[in-house]
Amino acid sequence: MAFDVFQKEQVTIEVAKALLDSGRLPKSAIEEYTKLLKAYEKLFKSSKRLVRISDRNEAELNTVAKSLDEKNTMLEDLSGKLGKYLSPQIYDSIFSGKQHAELKTERKKLTVFFSDLKDFTSTTADLQPEDLTYLLNKYFSEMSKIALEYGATIDKFIGDAMLMFFGDPESKGVPEDARACVAMAVAMQRRMEDLGEVWRAKGYEKPFKMRIGICTGYCNVGNFGSDARMDYTIIGGEVNLAARLEGAADPGGILMSYETYALVKDMVQAEERESITMKGIRREVHAYAVTNILDGFEKERRVVHHEDEGLYLHMDIDRLKGKSKTAAKRQLKNALDKLSS
Amino acid sequence: MDNISIEQSERSPGVEFNFENNSFSLKGESYPEDVTAFYGPLLDSLEKHFDASNGAKISFTFDLVYFNSSTAKILMGLFDMLDEVAEKSDVTVTWNYEADDDNMEEMGEEFGEDLEKATFILNEVAIV
Repeated sequence: MAFDVFQKEQVTIEVAKALLDSGRLPKSAIEEYTKLLKAYEKLFKSSKRLVRISDRNEAELNTVAKSLDEKNTMLEDLSGKLGKYLSPQIYDSIFSGKQHAELKTERKKLTVFFSDLKDFTSTTADLQPEDLTYLLNKYFSEMSKIALEYGATIDKFIGDAMLMFFGDPESKGVPEDARACVAMAVAMQRRMEDLGEVWRAKGYEKPFKMRIGICTGYCNVGNFGSDARMDYTIIGGEVNLAARLEGAADPGGILMSYETYALVKDMVQAEERESITMKGIRREVHAYAVTNILDGFEKERRVVHHEDEGLYLHMDIDRLKGKSKTAAKRQLKNALDKLSS
Repeated sequence: MDNISIEQSERSPGVEFNFENNSFSLKGESYPEDVTAFYGPLLDSLEKHFDASNGAKISFTFDLVYFNSSTAKILMGLFDMLDEVAEKSDVTVTWNYEADDDNMEEMGEEFGEDLEKATFILNEVAIV
């Protein structure tokens, strides 16, 4: 007989029936015995049915759970892809439920960052599309990496320009937000110098130079647009002012409004430049260009580059990892040994 | 006896017991946190009512889409009760199941097999 989970109960019923049919039971007990046997058979039937229902429900739940898992994985994958179109802070605040996708704005004091590449249009005319794609992607990747490191909310990329801000959706306070923004701008210009050297070494004659404008003031921040398509962005005179400051900045330089400068003057040295007048702003905006980073705020350079007669040295420390780092150390030591002998 | 009307919730079925018309129904999903607390008073009132009804025309409709094992045990007891009542009254049990719901159809078939006296109707309904 094939195995049956209820084999034992089945055998009990068969034995009981055989006993009933054998005529060995006293006549006075037959009626009660038959009732008991019937009750046992009913109980057995109920047990089998309950086990079957329980198994069926479990199987159904497992199917639902599996399908939910698949949907979750699909949604995670999709939200990961969509997240690349948003600033991580905005993405996090939406996905954690702190922020709702509704047309709502707030007035907040922010530090606004605007940057652009000098002579981008004329430079690109001399470049092949493949080279332009490489340079732009590298530029945006490197700048975004720094922006995220310093906690900037990346608002948008407009052609070669970048608009970012500090103070929303997370803020460490207006002074700290301004300091983080300027520290980020300095780190970006440093990286641009490094990249310039890398690009020059690769044969790009006129590497990009970035100009940066920064100002601190009240902006409207939030979701603008329509219910069907909205954009988390900032609007206000300060955005235009940051763009104007950027336009007046030196190539490779950072130009700040007085309010930003007042908040960061212990970390940078700056010189006053020609004031800026703007439509819609009655007062003149005093502009300050960063000239030097004070001790303790300077970050270590990550690219070493030196060219002289008989020497060409170029080292991008961030790219040296694992085996290539060990190999680089060995090569430099060999070179030093040869130089000393 | 006062009629009983309980609104369907996420975990317990909607209950409509009309004692005057002898029309009874359970509808929805059934996996209450406390099966005894939910079904105990309902079964008590049914038992009292059926004890006093002889020769009545009784209709009981099940419109369930999911139930757990504890509810299944309650249903088996209820089917027994209805079959006993059918010895002295005209009892019709209707088991509605949604089209494509093979589980509920099979369960209806199984529960229906237990009825010896009551009339059993297995009825496919459109998916809501």
